[in-house]
Amino acid sequence: MIVDPFRPPAAFRLLLHAAAGEGHLDLVAGDLHEEFVYLCERLGRGAGSRWYAAQVLRSIPQLLRLRIRSGELTYLLSAMASSAVPLLLLDRFWRFVYSQIPLKDGLDRAAGFLAADVAAVCLAAAISGAMAGSRRRAAMLSMAAAAGAGIGLWASVGSAPIFYAVAVLLAAPAGSVVGFAKWRGK
Amino acid sequence: MKWLKRIAIVVAALLIIPVLTLLILGLRPGAGRSQASVEIQASPEQLWAWIDDGSRLKQWVSWTVDVKPWSPQAGPGATRSMTMRDENNGGMLMVIDSACTEYAPPKTLAVHMSVPDEFEGQMTYRLTDLGNGRTRLDVNSSYRFSNAFVRLLEPLVTPSARRKMEGDVARLKTLVESRAAELR
Repeated sequence: MIVDPFRPPAAFRLLLHAAAGEGHLDLVAGDLHEEFVYLCERLGRGAGSRWYAAQVLRSIPQLLRLRIRSGELTYLLSAMASSAVPLLLLDRFWRFVYSQIPLKDGLDRAAGFLAADVAAVCLAAAISGAMAGSRRRAAMLSMAAAAGAGIGLWASVGSAPIFYAVAVLLAAPAGSVVGFAKWRGK
Repeated sequence: MKWLKRIAIVVAALLIIPVLTLLILGLRPGAGRSQASVEIQASPEQLWAWIDDGSRLKQWVSWTVDVKPWSPQAGPGATRSMTMRDENNGGMLMVIDSACTEYAPPKTLAVHMSVPDEFEGQMTYRLTDLGNGRTRLDVNSSYRFSNAFVRLLEPLVTPSARRKMEGDVARLKTLVESRAAELR
């Protein structure tokens, strides 16, 4: 495998992409890369990589603070809530419906109820995805939607068969991406 | 403003469409009624004990915690109470009062069930001798809910109750036939 001598370590580049907000990523990544190339030429790739890694790690708290201030965290939390809240509300609703069965029943849900959960998560995630203004944010929101769906599944009382859990975990990011692709800019 | 209108339309649709659907479904002929049938390799007399005897009843009616004996004694007018565990309500216990309305061993048992402010209904167990040691059990139930919101949700509750009942009679078949096989 040929290693580009002027390409910073992949793991730390990814970390930087994950930590930096949209408004700051290009600026920070550009500056770090420029310095990285300079150090590689003068001191070698090893020293350049070490410096790059240290800079990324040191920048993370500040970059996250900037993201919070710019309101990106609100987007992420909204995306997580968009899939977690419908799941939890529907779980509460199905519990109520099942508790009305005269001779009672357990926590297993009918397939139709589980399908309604998946559809609701998908729709809510699509609405959340439509709010993303860029591809990068859409990707972040879809991941946040998947995380929210995971939280929703974990906090639900009703049982979650594996096929249902997988469907929910896929429906959330898929809905978010479809929402972005279909309604962005409208 | 345009977005607010759209959101208002979506919210209204999300409320109105399900409510209308439930109202229409609630008018169907079999509303509130469930039925389950099973053919069991046992005589009507053997099967009767599983319906009449509270300690056996709780082995196949899932989530039953306790069934008190008939009082004063089995027959029309006698009463007994069933205690059910509601896993969907934090494991809360609910006591159902039953009053026998028809008692014809080993053919028919009908009970009127009620929980104040929750529901009341009728449950009938009918046993038909099919010959060769086989019996068909038909379980019919019909319920009426006290709360208006629960009455609206009846199209969701009744199919769930029917599924539960089908699971219970399937368990009864397994229990009775395995017990009969042990005795043979």
